[in-house]
Amino acid sequence: MHKALLPMSIGLACLLSTVTIAQAADPGSEDPNNWPQYNRTANAWRYSPLDQINKDNVSKLSVAWIAHGGDITMGIQETPIVIDGVIYSITSGDRVAALDGKTGQQLWSFEPKLDPLVKKVLFAPYSRGVAVGHGMVFIGTVDGRGIALDQKTGKEKWQVQLTDFANCHGCNFTSPPVVAGDMLTFGSTAGELAAQGKIFGVEAATGKKIWEFNTIKQDEKSWPGESGRYGGGGAWMPGTYDAETNTVFYGTGNPGKDFINSDREGDNLYTDSVVALDPKTGNLKWYRQEIKQDVWDYDSPYEILLFKKDGKDLIVHMNKSGYVFVLDKNTGNIENIWPVSDVKNFVKDIDKKTGELIGRLELPINKETLVCPSTFGGRSWNSGAYNPKTGLWYNNVLDFCGYLKPVVQKDDPKDYGTGHTGSNDFGRLVMAPDGRKPGRLDAHDPTTGQRKWTHEMEVPGFACVLTTGGGLVFNGDPTGKLQAFDADSGKVLWSFNTGSGMRGGIVSYAVDGEQYILVPSGWGSYAALLLPPLFPQLEKVPAASTLIAFKVSK
Amino acid sequence: MRKIAIAWAILVIGLAVEKPHADEIPNLKDQKVISAGHDLFLGKQCAHCHGEDGNGGVNLARRDLDPKGVFIAIADGREKNGLRMPAWREVLTDEEIWQATAYVLSISHSNR
Repeated sequence: MHKALLPMSIGLACLLSTVTIAQAADPGSEDPNNWPQYNRTANAWRYSPLDQINKDNVSKLSVAWIAHGGDITMGIQETPIVIDGVIYSITSGDRVAALDGKTGQQLWSFEPKLDPLVKKVLFAPYSRGVAVGHGMVFIGTVDGRGIALDQKTGKEKWQVQLTDFANCHGCNFTSPPVVAGDMLTFGSTAGELAAQGKIFGVEAATGKKIWEFNTIKQDEKSWPGESGRYGGGGAWMPGTYDAETNTVFYGTGNPGKDFINSDREGDNLYTDSVVALDPKTGNLKWYRQEIKQDVWDYDSPYEILLFKKDGKDLIVHMNKSGYVFVLDKNTGNIENIWPVSDVKNFVKDIDKKTGELIGRLELPINKETLVCPSTFGGRSWNSGAYNPKTGLWYNNVLDFCGYLKPVVQKDDPKDYGTGHTGSNDFGRLVMAPDGRKPGRLDAHDPTTGQRKWTHEMEVPGFACVLTTGGGLVFNGDPTGKLQAFDADSGKVLWSFNTGSGMRGGIVSYAVDGEQYILVPSGWGSYAALLLPPLFPQLEKVPAASTLIAFKVSK
Repeated sequence: MRKIAIAWAILVIGLAVEKPHADEIPNLKDQKVISAGHDLFLGKQCAHCHGEDGNGGVNLARRDLDPKGVFIAIADGREKNGLRMPAWREVLTDEEIWQATAYVLSISHSNR
């Protein structure tokens, strides 16, 4: 290192250490240099306090290294984990690798032998991340297993079959488990599957299954007759573990069949809900259903943010409908409800006090009905990011619609490739009726919904957003355009073409006094299959599975 | 060595041809077969990605397709350009896969 840089580096290291906030217990120390869990911290803010890369120097951001993730099938959808300079990554086929954060060089890799049935099921072979804790790396696999690896070597420590993969229409795991103290919780896919989606509690040390929580309530009133048998639900994105109350919060999936409610004329609990579970027992502490008897595919598995405001402990949670629910963290009582967009016709509104759906749009059989937002939602599953310095929550808003046509469909849980949706397709996508741009990056107050700034996009964003202590917001789009914004104003400060679209989570970390921005780039997922008729420019986007690390060049 | 390689190649090609049960190919221009394939195409949600008329996100209408290639893609699934189609062998019978193949060919560029 150049001598003149040494004092500067020491100064920087001190600066970084001064921003360290309260150290949390394993799994994720809240060391600002790390990105230890899916949404970085237990409050799910996706905020990195690092400020070495900031508004003044972001224009000098350049590529530090590039690493390839292997199989490109369905792109790269993960949010990488970074702890003490080591990146833990998962790519298609549940291939796990540990990489050196300074160079991208592989330290170890692990690839499980998957059940051949994976070739037939709807949700495969992608994963959205790993979890790290107790000296192990944990994954949920696309054939329904939990696997633990030694954090230093990648050697398998234990594995456990959790879902009844062959008999639940291929229900599996496409997201990482949550480390909740000594327990792990795994949320399964369901929703579009002829299955009952479950959340599993497993001992982290041994892999022993302790409990399972059925997201389909055994209740004749909620699920008349046999309607709950293949009720769907599930919890296909990671939950939030709150050590303060020893609670794991999950958002749940939609009821099935997606677009037909004639045989399930109840609330259809606990679909489209936030559930608060005791991680030791799986006992339900409380629930808040956001969409009763859903027919528009508006799941609730998105990230659950935790806030303290005016002496209250709050949850902020967006449902796929685009409505944001502000809840009391301890009871689930409603504090406020606000929509991210006015491109909506599935209801006239949602009552801000009771949560009742006002003026529902029902879907007649064998007839196309225009529904806004589309089945991709008012936002996709990719998390937003909250910056405590600006008080703003940044989200990719989707402003397009779709025509849905329910049709009669037989139940067949052995027909693994056909969604249990009550339709021939997932909707014919169209632009919003008022002709507005189809997407934007918005900055909102998370509890009131007041919008501070917006950035319109020709092709909407489908990647998780990052915000940093350097006053920046990073966002990537499906065409490969990666941009850095001024977190206060929304002004574009930097742009880079990554060569493929982004669908995963952008993170930041520091090692040896240097801050990095790490970007998964590789367009894929059902969005890549379904969006081209509405966005023809996406047909030519090449697939990839790449991690690109950026830093400020000296 | 070369002879062994050629014999091996012939065996592999033979197996590949055998896999889709080539001897049992129905008349793919038969309207009844195409119509049955259309019902399957909708019922199994092929239209989800391909569109009912082949003009979906994974476009079939602009492509030149051959019957055996389509059969194998439906039977064993397909992973290409980062995209993925599930496999249908044993979920659908060979006869049904041929019916779906007939419909796919009828809406593809090869039919024009």
